[in-house]
Amino acid sequence: MTPLIEITGLTKTLTGQGEPRPILTGVDLRLNAGESIAILGRSGSGKSTLLSLIGLFDRADGGSYLLGGEDITKAGERQAAQLRSREFGFVFQRFFLLKHLTAAQNVAMALVNGQGWLSGKARRDKIMNALDQVGIGQLAKRRPALLSGGEQQRVAIARALVREPRILLADEPTGALDTETGNLVIQNLRSMTERGCGLILVTHDREHAAKMDRVLELVNGKLQPAGVLV
Amino acid sequence: MRGRLRSALVIGGQGIRARKFRTFLSMVSLFMGVLAVVTVQAGASILERSELDGIEMYSGKDGTITLRGAGNHTDLVAETLRGTTQGVLSMPVDATLGEPNVNPINRQGMTFEDVRRHGRSTGADYDCMSEADCEAKRKQKPLPEGNAIRLNIEALTGDIRPIRPFTMVSGQWLDFGSTPMLAPRIVINQEAAKFLGHYKIPNELQLGSGASHPSVQITGVVNDGAYGPAAYVRLDEMSSWAKNPAGSRYSSGPTVFLQPGSDDLQRVLRSKLVAAGAKDSDIRFEAQTRKEDVTKRLLILKVIFLGLAGLVLLVGVAGILNVGLATINERVEEFALRRAVGMPRLLLAGIVLAETLLVGLFTAAVAIGVGYAGLEVVGSMAASRLRLSGAPPFPWDAGLAGVIAGLLGGVLGGLIPAIRAARIPIATVMRA
Repeated sequence: MTPLIEITGLTKTLTGQGEPRPILTGVDLRLNAGESIAILGRSGSGKSTLLSLIGLFDRADGGSYLLGGEDITKAGERQAAQLRSREFGFVFQRFFLLKHLTAAQNVAMALVNGQGWLSGKARRDKIMNALDQVGIGQLAKRRPALLSGGEQQRVAIARALVREPRILLADEPTGALDTETGNLVIQNLRSMTERGCGLILVTHDREHAAKMDRVLELVNGKLQPAGVLV
Repeated sequence: MRGRLRSALVIGGQGIRARKFRTFLSMVSLFMGVLAVVTVQAGASILERSELDGIEMYSGKDGTITLRGAGNHTDLVAETLRGTTQGVLSMPVDATLGEPNVNPINRQGMTFEDVRRHGRSTGADYDCMSEADCEAKRKQKPLPEGNAIRLNIEALTGDIRPIRPFTMVSGQWLDFGSTPMLAPRIVINQEAAKFLGHYKIPNELQLGSGASHPSVQITGVVNDGAYGPAAYVRLDEMSSWAKNPAGSRYSSGPTVFLQPGSDDLQRVLRSKLVAAGAKDSDIRFEAQTRKEDVTKRLLILKVIFLGLAGLVLLVGVAGILNVGLATINERVEEFALRRAVGMPRLLLAGIVLAETLLVGLFTAAVAIGVGYAGLEVVGSMAASRLRLSGAPPFPWDAGLAGVIAGLLGGVLGGLIPAIRAARIPIATVMRA
């Protein structure tokens, strides 16, 4: 079976004001459909950088990246935008909800992105379906200010799911939530893999990581299986 | 493409609704510039129209050819022009409409407004050819005041409206296709109609030559752009009862108007006039080019004022740019997120531009509305000075100029913020 993601020898050096700093020195990663992977690592180890490379926010300096068997290592801006829209769903630690939009409009943001156009009814159906999947369909018309942290994160997950992506990328999605709400969010994300969606979860929380199929740790710019978790 | 345009408009609209106060501030900064452009363009168009209307109605449309040097061969020219639509002979005649042998209401052909302001004219109303003639007329017994007006009559050989674009106000224009009538039909201008509306003036017409007709028929009222009272009559109808209608104090004699492209007619006229004894070198056909002169003269003024309006617009653009840049800094996360969910850079820039373009359009709509209302108020006050019947209509090109100025302001003010929005790095923002 062709893996959803197959990354080999991925490298990235951060160039800022100071000395160039190699942050990823040869990452190998393989994600299959319906599989969930947790990536652990210390702060500054390069977890978020890796996720941004996988999510095509940025380009790697070296290595190869196959998405569904297609080499997208050198994907241009337009192709990357298409793939982000079609293949990926993103969940971030900060929910990044627009406060002037309702929950439904925030979810719609992933549909009104210039990659095709859905009729009003089709769009509404998709949005309500995504909100229902995470159990907050009744909050569709509320603005973020009137939602709890957990509800806001679930709106963000609905936004990630609304285009029915093949891969979910979650960057510390429970970082701003209490334990109980965090567990609910992880449960939401985990349930997606049962429908064939691949999940990569970047987290500091070893308890949440233990709920994934595989747990990897980023050490010295490389991924390796994590040790004892809990 | 359709999806992208719709997306840009939907998101742009959301952005405007979400930041109403900033949108208002942007509109305020752009408003004066757009209004200045609308005002200058409207003013220039109205002035140009006013000037051209006067010229066209008096001297004919641009390109109209006038014949000079026909001398006293009026009958020959009139005969040559009979039945043709390519040329018209117009013979000006001094006349009095109303009671005979009275001192007219408007001595020397004064306007209705002058009479209203200064009162009815008193004293003798006569034209004299020399000092001795004047002296003799001064000694005559003064005429009693009566209901009559002095007016200028133009006797025509054909329909002059294709050359001088008069507009009918009421009634009918002269019918040149029918048999001449014994009771001559005349069409009066609006200025003459004012007198007829205010005084009880009988339909008796006396010409300067002394000929008179007791019952002319007034068939219509026309806007001819003339200051003073005037009337128009068929030359053949007037000639049937006034064999020698004589001339006018204000004109050198008959004028022959010819349509552009009437080369054959010009050759025929020249040949006949030369055969009748006119000097070939005196006969000239001159084309009317005053529209070009007026346009050129006004263009200089227009460019100067549009330049000033452009400067005001630039200040507005600076304001919208300032607001736009501040907004971009606040919306970094939103833009990064939109790109993260698959929005292309170009569309992101398009959204920012769509917002400023919409702001520009709204501003243009408001400025055009204010300009329109202002014109209604100021125009009705200035109408008499510009010889217009009422407030001039809002020129469509001023509206167009406003829309263009609004869009241009939107583009210029939104371009740099749009480029900045498109360059926001997703990874940096989403990691922060």
